[in-house]
Amino acid sequence: MSGRLRLDFWTVVLLGALAIVAALLAWPLSSILQASFLDNRTGEVTLGNYARVLGQPFFRTALVNSLIVGAGGMAGALLLGVPLAVLTTRYVIRGRHLISTLAVLALVSPPFIGAYAWIMMLGRNGLVRHLVEPWGVPVPPIYGFFGIILVFSLKFYPFVFLLTASSLRTLNPSLEEAAEGLGAAPWQRLRRVTLPLVLPAISGGALLTFVLSIADFGTPSIVGGPVRVLATTAYNLFTSEMTGNPGLASATSVVLVTLSMVAITLQRWSVRRRQVAASLLRRPVPRRLGPLASAAAHLACYAIVLASSLPAAVVVYTSFRKTSGPVFHPGFGLDSYARVVREVPHVISNSAMYSIVAVSLITVVGTLVGYILARRETSLAGALDGALLVPYVVPGVVLGLAFVVTFNVPPLPLTGTATIIVLMLFIRRLPYAVRASASILRQIRPSLEEAAVSLGASPPRAFGRITLPLMLPGVVAGLLMSFITALNELSSSLILYVGRTMTMPVRIYLSVLDGEFGPAAALSTILLIVSGAAVYVVFWLSGRNESALL
Amino acid sequence: MARVDLQRISKSYPGLKVLDDVSLSIRSGEFFTLLGPSGCGKTTLLRTVAGFNKQDEGQVLVDGAGIDDVPAHRRNIGMVYQDYAIFPHLTVADNVAFGLLMRGVPRREIVERTGRALDLVQLGGLAARLPHELSGGQQQRVALARAVVVSPRILLMDEPLSNLDAKLRVELRDDIRDLQRSLGITTIYVTHDQEEALVISDRVCIMRAGRVHQIGAPQDIYARPATLFVASFVGAMNVLPDVAIGPRGEVALGSGAPSRLPLAGPSRATLGIRPEDVVLGDPPEDPGIVLGGVVTKVSFAGREAYYRVEVSDGPTLLAHVHRPHERPMAALGERVTLTLPTGRLHAFAPGEERRIEMRQ
Repeated sequence: MSGRLRLDFWTVVLLGALAIVAALLAWPLSSILQASFLDNRTGEVTLGNYARVLGQPFFRTALVNSLIVGAGGMAGALLLGVPLAVLTTRYVIRGRHLISTLAVLALVSPPFIGAYAWIMMLGRNGLVRHLVEPWGVPVPPIYGFFGIILVFSLKFYPFVFLLTASSLRTLNPSLEEAAEGLGAAPWQRLRRVTLPLVLPAISGGALLTFVLSIADFGTPSIVGGPVRVLATTAYNLFTSEMTGNPGLASATSVVLVTLSMVAITLQRWSVRRRQVAASLLRRPVPRRLGPLASAAAHLACYAIVLASSLPAAVVVYTSFRKTSGPVFHPGFGLDSYARVVREVPHVISNSAMYSIVAVSLITVVGTLVGYILARRETSLAGALDGALLVPYVVPGVVLGLAFVVTFNVPPLPLTGTATIIVLMLFIRRLPYAVRASASILRQIRPSLEEAAVSLGASPPRAFGRITLPLMLPGVVAGLLMSFITALNELSSSLILYVGRTMTMPVRIYLSVLDGEFGPAAALSTILLIVSGAAVYVVFWLSGRNESALL
Repeated sequence: MARVDLQRISKSYPGLKVLDDVSLSIRSGEFFTLLGPSGCGKTTLLRTVAGFNKQDEGQVLVDGAGIDDVPAHRRNIGMVYQDYAIFPHLTVADNVAFGLLMRGVPRREIVERTGRALDLVQLGGLAARLPHELSGGQQQRVALARAVVVSPRILLMDEPLSNLDAKLRVELRDDIRDLQRSLGITTIYVTHDQEEALVISDRVCIMRAGRVHQIGAPQDIYARPATLFVASFVGAMNVLPDVAIGPRGEVALGSGAPSRLPLAGPSRATLGIRPEDVVLGDPPEDPGIVLGGVVTKVSFAGREAYYRVEVSDGPTLLAHVHRPHERPMAALGERVTLTLPTGRLHAFAPGEERRIEMRQ
């Protein structure tokens, strides 16, 4: 194939994709960058917004708090995820599938479920607090750093766990055997050989948790109490009618994005020149532990996954409790579900419709663009690949603000429409689908399609007959994962919704703020069940390959 | 059955000339091999014939008609890949049937022809299997059946044996050759394995850096390599670089009277001799360059023994001795005499390294 630009089908797709990126990423983000340099009252170009964000104690505290919860969430996720990965891949642990399923369910459950479930357990009237405090066990207040970091750790550790475990599973066992043969004790072997070799996976997971932690909006605004972070500050600056300040909100957003970018750069730099080829022929065999050590290992593994699935259990339990209004009564019933169906049926249909439309778009565009990235190495394709990294580092709050700033006015006044929410879900999740389909395609050798062509199939026919069927399981798995995240999206929807375009996560968030735990739990349970079912299908399609979920 | 003519084909990528004015003709029914190290352009040339690469210049003719404007899927060319390229989601039978299906062949005929093709590659019993249940050798047989079942005008093979182990390679190599003979399909075969090329081909084309170095029957290429590169790439060749040649062909090398080569003209030449032509021990009757040296390595391989001899103030030469067990072997460190019979020497022009013919 020649490297010259020809106006064939794929060139049209490439140009279309670049247009999408320009309209939905470059334009909104440049508006917000522009706004960050404008004075709110005079409209003059100024560095004043940045001076305030970086200089005033009010904002500096938010910045420092973001770093604390980011680092805390990351540390917690590492502390839970790495040991869990090492134990389940290197030693015989019973119920490994159950463990990874529970971890995956924690991953796909709506992000803020953890926040309010922990309030129900550890809050001022919490179940657990009532249970243990009479015995003299001190329970730190859930509102504040403790709550945020607890929720982040338990919510995000599955990323570290799944990435590290998959890297550990494909590590050439000869390396660890060689270390053993050279006299390294088990602990030394782990510290000097195994962990350094899987460092790219560990640090990749750590980075992801850091970026997700500083980007998270729901958790700090529900359990943060007095602790303000950049994401909540930007949101409040933008939405509060009294002190609303788009310039400051934009500057805060830019600082937030910069933090994510610095984190990504650091991670790339730390794993440079580390390329460990996976071994596909020989896999490490888990060893048996002595009875005491084995009991301790089982206890640790199950404690981690059960703690992380506790919020989901609490939510499901709560949803079935008897209520009248916001008051819970003894016994069980479907009152909360009845209230949801009676009061806000449209949020369920909105969520379903927006997610389905967005995911359909994502699937078509993502598959086509993935094909271009995997099979056509032109400079334009490279540029597209780079541009699609952007949504990974831009938090939902920021992109939501950028959309409002950009699409509030002509030429494209979209605020308040369903379209803007669908477009947001689309662009936020598109890169993941592109990556997924490109990586599937890279595993399908181009010679297959060529062989079909040489046997007389026209190129479109060869794609349809050979490549597409081979891609399909991966594409469907990616589609379902996009569906789960679209369904659970809170931060950007919260900025973009109006009454009639409200989605389930937004409704849950507002209910929680109002102390209406019943309907919140009922809606959350619906989200949980749909997400769990989708995960089940993904597992079934991908032959229980957990990395299909990332 | 088809004749293939490649006329002045050139192809460049930015900063790299992959094919540099390549012309060659392949006879109808011939087994023709493109041989060369990786990056020599042989695969690019093959893919140009298949229609997966577009050359910058030149044309491809099949039976005298240009095919450059015919898209790959209409060229009726069978292709076999190094990585087999068996469709993993289709059964063996469906893989083989694929090309017939694309051609709209009636169902009953597809079944019949597929069965025959599978029998031809000795896989008759595996029709219903999925590819992952097959060994590498079996997968490549499926690929072969799939390529020939459509009766292509030309069969192209891109290093089809290089993913297989040594024993299987030899076995399948012979099968490919037998199949090609019995079907009489014009075949272009790409390999970097010189022994494979010599064994399997009617004619071999040796390429390097996008250029053709030599085209010929295997025995001609081995006996009379056209360039120093061909001499070293096909078989082994001892090289005496840049030797001074007197006006009447005298070579002042080694002990004793200067040898005379049947060379006239050049004052300098690079001389070459194959290890099996070097005589170790007592000089033979034939005239030759006689050199003294010390044995620095001995390897006994049964049928032959390989000696490495460091010539005093000269190059290190390899000598292969046949039936080494029938006479006493030289030991490591022993001083030995080497004779390079003049009739067995090859001469190459220094610099451009083309062969200089000796007068017989």
